[in-house]
Amino acid sequence: MLRDLLFKNQDQRQLLIAVIGSFLGITFLVTSIHYLVKVNEFGRGSEILGPNTLIVQKRVNSGSMLGIAKTDFSESEIENMKKEKFISDVKPVISNNFDVSFQTNDPHVPYFRSDVFIQTVDPAFLDVKSEKWKWTEGDTLVPIILPRDFLVMLNTFMSANGIPQVSDELAMEIKFKFTISNSDKKEFFGAKIIGFTNEVPAILVPQSFMEYGNVNFSLGGDKKITQIMIAGEEKEFGLVEEYLVKHGLESKNSQMVVGRLKSIISTLIIVILGISVIAVFVSCLVLIQYLQLLMSRNTYEVRTLIRIGHHPKDIVRTFFIYFIKIFGLVSGAGLIVFYLFKLYLDKIFADGGLALGTTVSLLSLASLLTAFILFAFASYQTARKGVFREYSMK
Amino acid sequence: MKITLNNVMPVPLASIKHGENSIWGNETVLEPGKKIMLNAASGKGKSTFTFTTLGLRYDYDGTILYDSRNVRSFTPDEWTELRRNKISAVFQDLQLFPSLTVRENLLIKNNLTNCYTEEELQLQLKEVGIADKWDQQCGILSMGQQQRVAIIRALAQPYEWLIMDEPFSHLDAENTQLCLQLINKRTEELGAGFVLTTLGDDHQFSFDYTLNL
Repeated sequence: MLRDLLFKNQDQRQLLIAVIGSFLGITFLVTSIHYLVKVNEFGRGSEILGPNTLIVQKRVNSGSMLGIAKTDFSESEIENMKKEKFISDVKPVISNNFDVSFQTNDPHVPYFRSDVFIQTVDPAFLDVKSEKWKWTEGDTLVPIILPRDFLVMLNTFMSANGIPQVSDELAMEIKFKFTISNSDKKEFFGAKIIGFTNEVPAILVPQSFMEYGNVNFSLGGDKKITQIMIAGEEKEFGLVEEYLVKHGLESKNSQMVVGRLKSIISTLIIVILGISVIAVFVSCLVLIQYLQLLMSRNTYEVRTLIRIGHHPKDIVRTFFIYFIKIFGLVSGAGLIVFYLFKLYLDKIFADGGLALGTTVSLLSLASLLTAFILFAFASYQTARKGVFREYSMK
Repeated sequence: MKITLNNVMPVPLASIKHGENSIWGNETVLEPGKKIMLNAASGKGKSTFTFTTLGLRYDYDGTILYDSRNVRSFTPDEWTELRRNKISAVFQDLQLFPSLTVRENLLIKNNLTNCYTEEELQLQLKEVGIADKWDQQCGILSMGQQQRVAIIRALAQPYEWLIMDEPFSHLDAENTQLCLQLINKRTEELGAGFVLTTLGDDHQFSFDYTLNL
């Protein structure tokens, strides 16, 4: 009865406009946050190198071939890169300055041996658990990250020998052996694959193993830094790319393409997100104003109810619950439409070769919950202020 | 519950000259269980008395006490409790909800304390001659009919005091008597008291005492 009394004087058209505005705002807010998260997650897990990471070297040209232009990086060049706001980290890629051979050491796999080139990178750039990625002097087993191309080559070799090819998981069970040497001595180590990379052309080993080899089996001379790893800031890959071009640097094209793609999509989604936040804010404001209008239309009713013994809190609760129900329905409808929209958009992205994760991102749900809580708080405060103003009209 | 007005002087009435026996500016006690007529000419503050006594306005000097508590000290919780169980009122402007029916107007109050059943409320309407208005919107009733609804609504709660501000101003003598009987019966049942403000007409009722403004 209280509800019938207080909500009789409604302007249904204004309420409908506010509800539609809130619904659209909520739907776009949840959708844009979801896709912002998914686009940023894109590529994670499939590559052992961290996200937004590039391996960069200087472009080889006629000058460098003639020895006029340098192809190695100086300390000052690395320090200057670190100062750029769109570059979050720069670390050198260290290569071996000793001889290394790599061979199979497993009775189930045919003998295969090759001289190889190994590298090490700062663990901060690797998406790998630290307890797996460590080697200390005295350890007989070295964890390695194998270039996927190397596995393809291994499989080709095995296939040519009439042996079934191996998957990533199976390859990680094969025993390998490293032989590191210089002209005076040699040492053997077992090797175990813990992951694969598409981006680094050499076998990756822990830094401690590289230091051990370079100190104890050095072939002499200074080892120059010809490659560095750059971690670019999220959504600013365009600036990273521009910087590389300007400074005569180059990176593997696929890394650049993914980075550029993510950067463009993220920027677009942030624009949509901004618009959505404004839409939600404005529509909530309209709903709150509608509540204020409703309360001013019910001034007499509120005052009289208090005078005949209704508690102001009960009246506040009646307004509050009504608006919470409206916003709850708006949020629920927004969530349903978002999910249907997501099914459609996921298909469009997948058809376009961008296989984004399909699970609903928690952040988008959290944003909905946040909007709901903020609206609940605002509507409660508005209702409370309106009702207690009548209570205090002495 | 004893109601005491200690040198109460409403700000809007401070410039008016009040008589020596006026409740304004003097100490006045509303003794529990007494039936009191508050007699005054227009503009002397009858409605102001109702509003200040009920804690609906505080623009006055002096103090109003319920027993020993200053009414200014009551919290919203306490006022709600008082207005549900201790003190009821018939306002001069009635304070009904014109968009609601008679039934809804009565139930919106009665449901707070469940004093009466709907049948009992209908019976009371019958006693004052408006039983047929049960499902009619209050807004379309005559002022006299609305006054009777407001009186029945005021009775639909337990109370120690019933404050009535010219409750019969639109009623003829016969209906006034019917209403007064109903009010008196209910007040007797509850062992309560009432204050009835009038323009001088005692409605042939035997009040315990008269106050003036």
